[in-house]
Amino acid sequence: MKRPSSYLRRDGAGDSDQAMTSMIDVIFLLLVFFVCTSSFQIIEHILPSQMSSTLGTQPVEALDPPPDADFDNVVIRIGWDGSRPNWKINDTPIESFEQIRAHLQALASVKVDAPLILHPDPAVPLGYVIQSYDEAKLTGFQKVSFAVNPRKGG
Amino acid sequence: MKTPRYSRARKLGIDMTPMIDVVFLLIIFFLVSSHLAKQETQLDLPLPIAKSGENADSRQTPRVTLNVTEAGQILMAGREIDSSALPMRLVQLRETEGNDLEVRIRGSRDSAYAFFEPIMLSCTEAGIWNVTFAVFERETRQ
Repeated sequence: MKRPSSYLRRDGAGDSDQAMTSMIDVIFLLLVFFVCTSSFQIIEHILPSQMSSTLGTQPVEALDPPPDADFDNVVIRIGWDGSRPNWKINDTPIESFEQIRAHLQALASVKVDAPLILHPDPAVPLGYVIQSYDEAKLTGFQKVSFAVNPRKGG
Repeated sequence: MKTPRYSRARKLGIDMTPMIDVVFLLIIFFLVSSHLAKQETQLDLPLPIAKSGENADSRQTPRVTLNVTEAGQILMAGREIDSSALPMRLVQLRETEGNDLEVRIRGSRDSAYAFFEPIMLSCTEAGIWNVTFAVFERETRQ
């Protein structure tokens, strides 16, 4: 019976070859392991939205903002002129997004627990809607909800 | 026939290398397969950006993910669903999964809000209040 050549070689040269192969094997495995565990995908977060029970069924007209001086809720209307958004907070036109923060902070300092209703036009890109929602949450408003237009014919 | 004689200098022990090899292979297999299973129903979309987003894995509630393509198609479990059929489907899911069912909406930041209104309306009609939007925490290169 022929014995494996490595046993015949007493100088140990065959053993070191074998050891290298296993080591490279394990190193490659580790490499693949770390490549796989480091995520290629961008980490996704979630933005919980609150939907009040009346929002889905209440007509849009009922969401008209109350007078600015004594407000019960804050209504942010987001419009879209085809290229850029425009905002109205309780019927006060807002030119830029930076002004929204200041305006919301002022409102929050008066009544932070007031419900805030976002009422975007159907044409507004979702990015701006979420941006406004995010800003309202960051300002401290806890009850932020979306207004939804009723179904056509419904 | 002469029997092979092993040198006494050679230590006889368990070789750990193949075991580590196999264990790592199994780990990688399960990692990759679970990763692919997660990605299966996820569309590559430029999600909106929000700083106040929560960790997506922090919630353990049953969840249904609705992907909204840039053309306004609503995809549930990889299949297109009409917005008129959505309330009934959501009611069925709420009955099987429980009242704490989460509806996660994934949509492009450039899609019009009109595409998302029917979904939110369907959720309220189905009695589901746990609605979340998938967002990115910061601007990403697409």
